[in-house]
Amino acid sequence: MQTRRAIASFLLLAALPVSLVIPARSQNAEQVAKTTLKVGDHAPDFTLLSDQWKTVKLSDFHGKKNVFLAVYVLAFTGG
Amino acid sequence: MDSPAANAAFAKQIDVKFPLLSDMNKKMLKDYGILKGYDVQSESYQWARRANIVIDKDGIVQHIEEDESAVNPNNALSVCVDLHKKQTAK
Repeated sequence: MQTRRAIASFLLLAALPVSLVIPARSQNAEQVAKTTLKVGDHAPDFTLLSDQWKTVKLSDFHGKKNVFLAVYVLAFTGG
Repeated sequence: MDSPAANAAFAKQIDVKFPLLSDMNKKMLKDYGILKGYDVQSESYQWARRANIVIDKDGIVQHIEEDESAVNPNNALSVCVDLHKKQTAK
């Protein structure tokens, strides 16, 4: 299937589960970060640790692969 | 907390073929504006919002969706398929 092949060529489906606690002092009940990123923008480069303890940079894929980032919260919480 | 070790266990459990990444210092999440803060009983916590982002080979954002709309990956996948078609047609 062409669709499947097409999707398979997108290498990096990155889950970015997040560690939880940053001690900080704020009285706001909830603060939502503004997503300033828009279609057509240059994606900021990042360096992240993979599950194999290797660093993965967005720039590693420049000119080679399209990147699909799936940000997924608390994928593996053990509970 | 999803450390690389926790991600490795999760990757094994669901048998994924792509890297699972950890943003332990939350820098990427801040840069991308998808970090959300909560105060619970006078303590502050931060974690990520759900998001699907497609970035093409040139590093240009081609698709971005957040929160509830990011639960279903089909829109982002179809962007990937279209992108691939366009690139292979060249």
